[in-house]
Amino acid sequence: MAPSSATSPAGNRSGAQLSNTKTTVEFRAALVAMAIVALIPLGVSNPYWLGVLIVSMYFAILAGAWNLLAGYTGQFSLAPATFAMIGAYTTGLLNHYFGVPPLLGIVAAVVVSGLVGLLLGRAVLRLVGPYLALTTLSFAEIMRLVASNSIDITRGDLGLGVAGLLDSRVGWYYLFLGALVALLVLFYMLLRSKAGLFLQAIRDDEVAARRAGVNVVFWKTAAFAISAAASGFAGALYAHFAELVTPELGLIGQTGLIVSMTVIGGMGTLAGPLVAAFLVYVLSEWLRDVGGYQLVVFAALVVIFARFFREGLWGLARAAVQRWGRA
Amino acid sequence: MAGLLRRDMLGVALTVAAIMLPVVGAQAADPIKVGVTITQSPPGSVVQGTQVKDGLEVAAKIINDAGGVDGRKIELVIEDTQGLPEKARSAVEKLATRDKVVAITGEHQSSAALAGIEVAHRYKIPYINTNGWSDVIREKGYPEVFNPGNYNSRVGSAAAQTMKELGVKRVVSIAENTDYGIGLAKAIGEALKKVAPDVQYKYETLDRASKDFLPAILPMRANAPDAIINLMLPPAAYIMMNQLYEQGVAPSAKTWLYDGSGLADYPDFWQNVKEAGKGMLVFGLYHPKMAQPALGKQVGEAYTAKTKNEPNRLLFQAADSLFLIADAVKRAKSTDSEALIKALGETKYTGTRGEITFSKDKGYAFNQWLDVPYVTFQLTEVNQKVGDSALVSQAGQPLDPAKLWKPAK
Amino acid sequence: MSGIDVDLAVNGLITGLFYALMAIGLSLIFGILKIVNFAHGEFYMVGAYAYTLIALALGVPVWIALPLAFVVGALLGWLTERTLMRPLYAGYTSWGLMRDEYAVIVTFGLSLFLINLVDKVVGPYAYRGPPLVETSRVVLGPVLISGHRLLAAGIAIAVIAVTAALIKWSFWGQQIRAVSQNRLGASLAGIDTAKASVIVFMLSGGLAAFAGALLSPVINASPDVGIFPAIKSYIIVVLGGMGSVPGAIIASLFLGVIESFGAVYISFQYRDAFGLILLMLFLLFRPQGLFGEKGREV
Repeated sequence: MAPSSATSPAGNRSGAQLSNTKTTVEFRAALVAMAIVALIPLGVSNPYWLGVLIVSMYFAILAGAWNLLAGYTGQFSLAPATFAMIGAYTTGLLNHYFGVPPLLGIVAAVVVSGLVGLLLGRAVLRLVGPYLALTTLSFAEIMRLVASNSIDITRGDLGLGVAGLLDSRVGWYYLFLGALVALLVLFYMLLRSKAGLFLQAIRDDEVAARRAGVNVVFWKTAAFAISAAASGFAGALYAHFAELVTPELGLIGQTGLIVSMTVIGGMGTLAGPLVAAFLVYVLSEWLRDVGGYQLVVFAALVVIFARFFREGLWGLARAAVQRWGRA
Repeated sequence: MAGLLRRDMLGVALTVAAIMLPVVGAQAADPIKVGVTITQSPPGSVVQGTQVKDGLEVAAKIINDAGGVDGRKIELVIEDTQGLPEKARSAVEKLATRDKVVAITGEHQSSAALAGIEVAHRYKIPYINTNGWSDVIREKGYPEVFNPGNYNSRVGSAAAQTMKELGVKRVVSIAENTDYGIGLAKAIGEALKKVAPDVQYKYETLDRASKDFLPAILPMRANAPDAIINLMLPPAAYIMMNQLYEQGVAPSAKTWLYDGSGLADYPDFWQNVKEAGKGMLVFGLYHPKMAQPALGKQVGEAYTAKTKNEPNRLLFQAADSLFLIADAVKRAKSTDSEALIKALGETKYTGTRGEITFSKDKGYAFNQWLDVPYVTFQLTEVNQKVGDSALVSQAGQPLDPAKLWKPAK
Repeated sequence: MSGIDVDLAVNGLITGLFYALMAIGLSLIFGILKIVNFAHGEFYMVGAYAYTLIALALGVPVWIALPLAFVVGALLGWLTERTLMRPLYAGYTSWGLMRDEYAVIVTFGLSLFLINLVDKVVGPYAYRGPPLVETSRVVLGPVLISGHRLLAAGIAIAVIAVTAALIKWSFWGQQIRAVSQNRLGASLAGIDTAKASVIVFMLSGGLAAFAGALLSPVINASPDVGIFPAIKSYIIVVLGGMGSVPGAIIASLFLGVIESFGAVYISFQYRDAFGLILLMLFLLFRPQGLFGEKGREV
């Protein structure tokens, strides 16, 4: 079941030039959105809402990282939350048992999760579609089982207490924002370079890309490793923010949330998943207060968007703007 | 360029809309806000959460109907933890920072309590642990955390005493793989070493998310122990008990089943276990035939009127948690955390189960009401209410195995 | 073989039968549409609730509630196919990557939706389904088994046999097999592929729901109860060779026995990991499964 004819699904990626312009527009939109997020603490000082936004940024990084892998490279992994968990446990265990300072632990987390991502990415290279989804899902479940059953080491479901990093909530806010923007710039540069072209060529038609001389093995594995490293980074930051690491970080429901954000925002767009991460998470906090229907609503949205609006909110917004522009 | 900018603005507008939604801070208000963290959705025990919620609401109504605390009403602010430490952590955080509650209570799962007390400690907010049994909660030594409920060492020594009186030789605990389960399994082992050193004891930890325990139970059938102690919570405990019974392991003519985790007064207990529960010995924190102060009777009746259910232990523990907070506010004449914590430490209050005071000893006894009353009873019929079960011993009195019901061979 | 080994083998085989009820439907769907239905476990969950609530709340006799659970599952399968699977047909002959993505997202979303909907509407409490017979214990030589479990195992064997026979010999069964071997060819030969898909989804939903109903007295119905049988089914479908029904049946029994022995002789804690590790190893090194023909490209 290798892909045969190369019909580009969204129909708008027909050339390097266009693709680059599109990415640039999205990048600018994302930057403007982040600039607004940066201004929020000037008006909002309630630590609870700052906390909600910090967690939104955590998810925005994860959604962005998963989007790079699934949206831009077509590798549909069901393990993004697992790499966040691996990152969190890396720094958590180092800190808990060896007193390694958080900053060093976070670096270690990036390296470890990136390496695990590299190995998994290499292993699943030949698998597509349902096969890849199943393999990564199993990987995710095995990792979570190990984390919650290795009680002597990880303290199981009880969780591992780890050191904090900053006392100030506003400090955390800007640390997460900085991380998010840094990754955004990194992804943008990556996508604008030749690498971006290669990745999207592989997604659209792997066989054709190989024939055209793209080193498919290298780029697919690299995308896996970079995405995993970014997720591990987010997980490690979150570990020191929450001062607690538990196997819940790797629950399949967390992956569900990440997938929801990306699909609702628009897969394969730079800005969509980031903005949707804020929307979905803030909205879910609010829905929690009005009866806890958040997961019902988001799951329904995911199905509806996947069925009828493949390009997500970003696509809808763009269509609306275009119609407005013509009128 | 203008086109690009316009498009940029749209994404921005979405984000702004998301962020500006409900940024409304907590208002300083007349009522005394008490934060509550309980399980209202799975995977934690929703049954427990509901019992705690009912207990707190009954107590709040009693306080408010009597004019509140110095004219101020009690207001409960409830957060769902799903029984997950991570959610419990953020729930306490939310209560402390958004709702600005004066104290937090209601927690009924140890692992969630352990995550919650870290946050309460950071914000220096009084935390009344309603039903987290783990000794570790006490051993942390946090001055904000008070424990009017049961603790693992108490169950450990009670279970060990019962095993000794039953005259058994080999005992196996089946514990869920959480701090609660493993902590209790170890506590029983420690206590057995003291009171009955010749008993062979071991424990098995099982995943509470598991749906089938046969592979763990089958090996016991060939060489059944004299007693099996259940340290799992529903719904896993029900599946496990049904399989123990189906395999003829326990309760049986050879093997006692002893419940150390308070299963018998859950409203869905009998619907889920049937014959598998007949003959089970129960470590009980409440039994209608127990001696109880007047406040206990009042709370029990109000609960039955409200829910049509029989009173249960969690109801009383929850009610006491709130009464203690109200009592401390009254004595401190303030809702300031520091004054409240000091007042709580000096508690001498007759609640629903007896006179509550907090020990200052280190370790598991820290800020703990040591004399939590308990009994041992036995369920002798299917669908038997706790009130009709056989009370086989009260604390301090020995148990007579000859008087117990036992399945025929 | 000592007594305990006989026990473990018998119980493993019985568990395997229930796995097979689940896995056949998943395998059929894979065969015909080449997708994995990530909402398969929720068909099981809905069946467990349908049986339990119909019997307990409406007081309907268990022997009527049981087939009703099948009907409810089949209706859910029909609804899923009609509303969500149709885009998969368009451009079927050109396997675009977006098609696979769509299938994963939409079934994954459906799974989350159903779990949380039931959690909100029915409530998070566990319900134990009424057993088919009250006899609590039956002694079969060295093996003890509850009356319900024994009867359920018998029913499972019968249902599996009938299903396998239908697929092999009935008119629609032959059409389904034709479509899963070569969809384009089948459609050129005048087979109604859309109708074949609907039938497969209804059968798949019905069987999974039936399994949920049969097991509800043993594994109480709860909103997340479908997750574990779904994961087992994924493992089985991979082990059995994706799309092969006889392969799925043999792999189910195999997995049941492996888990039963593994839990005792290796580790109970990691029992659920054995199958997952097998799944990964198979997908990575032997994607055609235990019995599948060599050289199937994935």
